[in-house]
Amino acid sequence: MVQFALLDWIWMILFLALMIGCGVLFYRLGKRSESDFFLAGRGLPWWLPATSVYATHTATDTPMWVTGVIYKYGLTGIWYSFFAAWCAISAFVSTRIFRRSLAYTQAEWQSLRFTGLGSELLRGWVAGWQVFMNMFIMGWVGIAMGKVCQYAFGWPTWVGLIAFSAICAIYVLAAGYWGVVMADFQQGIIALAAILIVSIWGMIAAGGPGGIINRLKTLNSSCEWVIPKDVASDALIRITDPNTGTVWAQSENPVPILKKDDPTSTEQNQQYLEKLDEKVGQILANQAGLKNKQVQILFPAGQDTLIAGFTYSIVWTAGESGEKVNLDYSLDQGKSWINIDINHYNGQTWRINPFSFSGFTQGQFPVAWFITMMIIALIGGFGMGTSIDWYTEAQRIQSARTVRDASYSIWWGTALVVIRNSIWAAAILGFFVLFPGIGETGKYELGWFRLGFDFLPAGMVGFFFAAILAIHLSTISTQLNLGALYATRDLYQHYLNPEATEQKLIWIGRFSTFLLLLGSFIFGLMMEEITKWLIFALWIMAAGVWLPNILQVIWWRFNAWGYLASWIANLGLSWLVVWVLPAFGIIPELPDYLQFWALMLLTAFIYLPITYLTKPEDMDHLVKYYVMSRPIGFWGPVHKEAVKRGLLAEVQAVG
Amino acid sequence: MAFIRREWTAAAADDWCKEDWLAIIISPLAYVALAVGTALSFLLLPVGFLILGIAIVLIFLMHWVIDPKLKKISIDYEKKQKDYLEQLEKITRWEDLK
Repeated sequence: MVQFALLDWIWMILFLALMIGCGVLFYRLGKRSESDFFLAGRGLPWWLPATSVYATHTATDTPMWVTGVIYKYGLTGIWYSFFAAWCAISAFVSTRIFRRSLAYTQAEWQSLRFTGLGSELLRGWVAGWQVFMNMFIMGWVGIAMGKVCQYAFGWPTWVGLIAFSAICAIYVLAAGYWGVVMADFQQGIIALAAILIVSIWGMIAAGGPGGIINRLKTLNSSCEWVIPKDVASDALIRITDPNTGTVWAQSENPVPILKKDDPTSTEQNQQYLEKLDEKVGQILANQAGLKNKQVQILFPAGQDTLIAGFTYSIVWTAGESGEKVNLDYSLDQGKSWINIDINHYNGQTWRINPFSFSGFTQGQFPVAWFITMMIIALIGGFGMGTSIDWYTEAQRIQSARTVRDASYSIWWGTALVVIRNSIWAAAILGFFVLFPGIGETGKYELGWFRLGFDFLPAGMVGFFFAAILAIHLSTISTQLNLGALYATRDLYQHYLNPEATEQKLIWIGRFSTFLLLLGSFIFGLMMEEITKWLIFALWIMAAGVWLPNILQVIWWRFNAWGYLASWIANLGLSWLVVWVLPAFGIIPELPDYLQFWALMLLTAFIYLPITYLTKPEDMDHLVKYYVMSRPIGFWGPVHKEAVKRGLLAEVQAVG
Repeated sequence: MAFIRREWTAAAADDWCKEDWLAIIISPLAYVALAVGTALSFLLLPVGFLILGIAIVLIFLMHWVIDPKLKKISIDYEKKQKDYLEQLEKITRWEDLK
């Protein structure tokens, strides 16, 4: 547990006073109009929304997520965090188009792009979905904060979840987006400073950059093994040559595995697993294995008892670095073998290579995954909503004072995110070198926080905790204000009270903020495994609507009914493809990148016929939208019509 | 005319053209180089500094290519923004729709 010195308390109290001060200082600006409460009057220079983009996307769960993938995959794990790179293209395409539309929200943009009943249904649907998603995001970020506070101070998780989000609500309720963006600016600076200090400090504790690389060269090999929950027998492990199938090493004695609900194992569980982690760490660091040219399994051995349902590191002698191996286990004395990993690298130096893939389609990090992710992230920049981050970015885009400011705010905010992830990645290699034997994801996810709490000197821990508060509050404040924007602008004002005064709208904004806060507590208390939820949300739930999100921007013929159909189809199909059908054995369990392509294809079979079977959007409406936003892509008929009506200065060739 | 256009008319800046596509290509490359270059530079590997250097060159190049066009679009668009905002408020009131 972390003990605070006086200086630590001073850091924390100063920071909280600064944040709440933001609410007081900008209260007057925030209450001027709806545009001020939600978009800071559309007058911000690019660097303010840019720091807000960066600060918002640096949440309490983000270092956990990045640590999780880097600890497991080495620097190749950077590509998991490269989803943010959709802004590379978006900054110059969809950001420009969206900024020109002037829509407050993505839901409102859809009323500009589409028309009639379909558009109205879509606006309500997207707004409702966003209100839900905002509560969901705040829930998972909040529970991450709960976990950090539990690790640091031993508090129950609900305390960290509720206490700091409630403090954040003070300045969001008072000053709206003005409070959010001004606090984000300070929080962004504090968070970046802390990320640099803690990461460099942690790397020094691990022996410095040279020391980390040298240690990786001398550690034995390891690979994660998730033992299925229902296993309750002795297991053999073997290591084979992936090309020839030659067995290089096999367990000398079977390893006993206890069922998770076995009374003897439940008594021991946590303490026993912690001791095992330490033991595995020592075995990994034992350089005696290096001298042994012959591959030999060092952990688990016959005397080690494992518990089903947990994750362990299998350790074997380093062998030749760069060589690949297959790992299998058997529950029937070697009669049949079940694969643990394919094409896994020997040694640990592969962790320094950001391109250490395990084959084209095989193993834990295949090239096919990498290509899929690059396509999703980069090509997604042509669309709107291809990433869940779009909705927060959309608010920042509209708060920028010009189209140019909007483009640069998105580009530079994301550049900072990319740089931040890489700094973390280098530091997590240091954490791995210090604690190489941790098996459970939930434990190593806290790696970056451990570097700060365990290695920073007294007096700096308070600064570190203030920075954790900064990254937590920046995300919560954004989500509170954003959710309130959808609730106020797209639901209340659009459907319930179109003639509401500016003053009334601001109070509705505040009331919605409060409701969202309460909703986030409920969601937060329901969540446990952060990484699992993030992967599902980022990867799967977006798969079926990824292409429609692009088509709505680049193709004039795509209409509201097609878009609505894709959403509904994706919601059903994603659960079917990911869980239901594999559970009943109807289809095999697909790797996540194949799930993406399958969902994209399956939903297209639904929304494309619906698009063609229903009428195109009204041409008058499309021409208005086209002249105002000047979208990229296949807009030929609309362009011609706009030229015919004399609304465009000259004839230009369009797709 | 130079390969990269530096002077823009309002109508030409509104159109999607070669300069946009160059920015669209350079920008992701800059991000990839930033990601890899930063991580390897923090490990003090020479190749990291080289890649980071490439990233910085790419960023400068991207700005040089796209900035004049973005400036022109912004100046021209700001003149029309007030009218567009009024139009937006009408659309927000959904019972006014035909």
